[in-house]
Amino acid sequence: MRYQPVMGLEIHCELLTNSKVFCTCRNEFGGGANTRVCPRCSGMPGTLPLLNKGAVKLAAKAGFATNCTVNNYSAFDRKNYFYPDLPKAYQITQFESPICTDGYIDVVGGKRIRINRIHIEEDAGKLVHDDYEGVSMADYNRCGVPLIEIVTEPDFRTVEEVQDFVIQIGQRLKYAGVCDARMEQGSLRVDVNISIMPYGSDEFGTRAEIKNLNSVKSIGRAIEYEIQRQSEILDKGGKVMQETRRYNENHDDTKAMRSKEEAHDYRYFPEPDIPPVQFTDDEIEAIRKEMPELPHQRFERYTAQYKLPEEDARLIIAQKEFSDFYDEAVKITPEYKLIANLMLGEISHLINETGADITEVKFSPADIAKVAQMAAADTVSKGSAKEIITILFNEGGNPEQIAHDKGFIMDNDADGLDGIIDEVLKANADAVEKYKEGSTKLFGFIMGQAIKACGKGANPGLIKKTLTEKLK
Amino acid sequence: MSLQELRNRLDNREIGAVELAQDYLNKIKSRDGAVNSYITVCEDLALEQARAAQAVIDAGSSKAMTGIPLSVKDNICTNGVRTTCASRMLENFVPVYDATAIERLRAENFVMLGKTNMDEFAMGGSSQTSYFGGVKNPYNTDRVTGGSSGGAAASVAAGLCAAALGSDTGGSVRQPSAFCGVTGLKPTYGAVSRWGLIAFASSLDQIGVVAGSAFDTGYVLNSICGYDENDATSSAKAQGGYTELVGSDISKLKIGVPKEFLDGSSGEVKAAVLKAADFYKSLGCEIIECSLPSLEYAVSAYYLISSAEAAANLSRFDGIKYGYRSGLGESFNDLIKNSRREGFGDEVKRRIMLGNYALCSGYYDAYYNNARRIRTQIRREYCEIFKKCDVILTPTAPTTAYKIGEQENDPVKMYLADICTVTVNIAGLPAISTTCGYGADGMPIGMSLTGRAFDEKTIIAVCDRFEREFDRKECGK
Repeated sequence: MRYQPVMGLEIHCELLTNSKVFCTCRNEFGGGANTRVCPRCSGMPGTLPLLNKGAVKLAAKAGFATNCTVNNYSAFDRKNYFYPDLPKAYQITQFESPICTDGYIDVVGGKRIRINRIHIEEDAGKLVHDDYEGVSMADYNRCGVPLIEIVTEPDFRTVEEVQDFVIQIGQRLKYAGVCDARMEQGSLRVDVNISIMPYGSDEFGTRAEIKNLNSVKSIGRAIEYEIQRQSEILDKGGKVMQETRRYNENHDDTKAMRSKEEAHDYRYFPEPDIPPVQFTDDEIEAIRKEMPELPHQRFERYTAQYKLPEEDARLIIAQKEFSDFYDEAVKITPEYKLIANLMLGEISHLINETGADITEVKFSPADIAKVAQMAAADTVSKGSAKEIITILFNEGGNPEQIAHDKGFIMDNDADGLDGIIDEVLKANADAVEKYKEGSTKLFGFIMGQAIKACGKGANPGLIKKTLTEKLK
Repeated sequence: MSLQELRNRLDNREIGAVELAQDYLNKIKSRDGAVNSYITVCEDLALEQARAAQAVIDAGSSKAMTGIPLSVKDNICTNGVRTTCASRMLENFVPVYDATAIERLRAENFVMLGKTNMDEFAMGGSSQTSYFGGVKNPYNTDRVTGGSSGGAAASVAAGLCAAALGSDTGGSVRQPSAFCGVTGLKPTYGAVSRWGLIAFASSLDQIGVVAGSAFDTGYVLNSICGYDENDATSSAKAQGGYTELVGSDISKLKIGVPKEFLDGSSGEVKAAVLKAADFYKSLGCEIIECSLPSLEYAVSAYYLISSAEAAANLSRFDGIKYGYRSGLGESFNDLIKNSRREGFGDEVKRRIMLGNYALCSGYYDAYYNNARRIRTQIRREYCEIFKKCDVILTPTAPTTAYKIGEQENDPVKMYLADICTVTVNIAGLPAISTTCGYGADGMPIGMSLTGRAFDEKTIIAVCDRFEREFDRKECGK
């Protein structure tokens, strides 16, 4: 039997603050074990948390990026459990009164996915198990790294909806400067709650929570595995257990971590060391005004204002830096489609081929604007434009100088071409004859001969135009 | 000798700071064996600090606390000096930071004689739950000092320091001060930074002062109060000047006496407090009978809130990062379980269990949430009283200090003895306790004056006025 999957997400995102959420240790990825630890974040007796206002602001921005209400009042709670990577043995989080509530994002197919809440919390440390020595070691660098958790309603029905949502969340938070959204580094972590029910039913089944998903691809695979697993249980007349499962990338399956019975009673209660966060309407509005343009807004601008095809717009906005580069270039030369073509064509090709990053290339948006400008003015051909870009990519330099040096500047003297093209037509009288009789395919051949005769610097557009006239 | 006199003598070179410190250290050596008020005596550090203080005095730049020898309760972190909370769990814990109160005193070149004994993790009202042995009352060493700042109160009463820092979560400064016949001030919640105070119940804990007089408690508070960016619950409203009103006319003040507090106290305690009320009346103060109807729920609310917070606050003592670690067990869970089982005493374990129980899903509403409601109600009732009164007069404890061992097996009875003090913490108000009489057993009886939030000045002045007329019996110093 085939079943309808029902899914909801819990997404943890590390905030891009300079320091941790309750102390002044630097908030960074990597580095030697326990090099970014202080009495506060290692939970020494007598220490108190010091709320990082920057983290609160970024959490509010995450709310604005996902159509949430940013609340005037939010407060922190303690979530109690023992684990060696959690030095205080409680995590400071927001349970009763989260900072953001009631948002949504529209995904593929125009489906609206509701967001229940976004709350602020602190990350835990990491345990490193050394099986050879038979010891476990704790690294507290990640302790107190500021996180937000985005919790959706169980509105997802397909893998594509889930994947699109995760991609969009990553893009929006990145654009908003909230999170760098690097799933592979764990700065954006997705847990999927999934249950299945017979098609047509509106009664949700028992859900399993899948953890440890570190790419959009593994989210898809884990969901598919889980649908299969739960379907087999139901088909055999069994019952799905409420439990937490871990996805294993190598085996492409999920394994039970703990059942509902083993689940912790977290004994939440209000955190007495941190006064509630209170915002006036004006303060909330001031944060909203700081919001940069978001990817979906940029998409609108590209398609409505710049008249880019939707696919082009989608590809450009996919990476913020790439899109920023495009914006810089079109600000100088408003050749929207031409610059989009150069960026999605030659530049993307070179970047993908070499594994380079748009932020590290040897040319600037102004260089690309210049190339586009030359191509648009027929100073160089489109083909030469690509070659200039390859040279800029490999060696850098001044686009105009390159065009000169390489002899890309086109001869736009129509009168001069006239004679040469007449000669070409004469020399290929047969082909001309057949063309005029209806073999229109031969235009390409004649065009080729003309380009060859006119030489490297000739303007192919001009040749084509002249040729078309003469062949009428 | 008051701290002000001590200040003058130090500044006039009538006494040297080193000589003063040495004198106290000698007394500790000869007398503390009988009292057990200190867990750690910092002889070398104290003398070194005294020498530094003398240099400051000689340079003519002394501040209020320069060269004044204090004892510090052993749940207040002191950089480089072990801070045990009277627990096996922290027997060898040496902080790498000072509590803000200590940092401020160090900035004035005070002298720290040592760290005082207490109930383990400040949980208790007898100072008998210490891993380092119980504290004995200097008035009568068969009797308890009260707690949890029993070491602080005893060290002052026995003349083993000029004044003491304690902490008060439900009466832990005031009640032992009453039992030991000294003066104890619990400031408004937020008046003194809690940074470095090892947390028992974060929403109730407050560092306080035990001293020989109301004036002296204000004198020390002036140096440790005020906003601290390290404690988000500290307040800029705590501005100092706490001894300003001492000696001023208090005859226009209205003093409320809530009947519920007297009803639960022994006859001699009730009589002594009413006699104090008569004294104020004789000065011209208006005595107003008032009421705190929710008092009957206060002890329950206090134990639910404080134990819930304590359960979380003490979770960090898991044997992983610092403190006592059990050698038993194979897994994380075993390590944590055994370290806590062996590292904590019974009373601490009792509170942790009580707190966790109150927070469990299913019980949360019935216990923790109801306790929060009572807390709100108690605050409201205090607001009502302070519309009519400036100061509230109550007993500090229903009885005088009882015999050591007498209540050990009846925790509920012990909890109920906190009835006179806990509401002040629940409402976050300032209160001061001083001796107002003696029981048939010869032990001191304490009365408390509670004021409006951040109005320590008034209760200190009112308390001082009583102390001027009252003949306090010194214990065998």
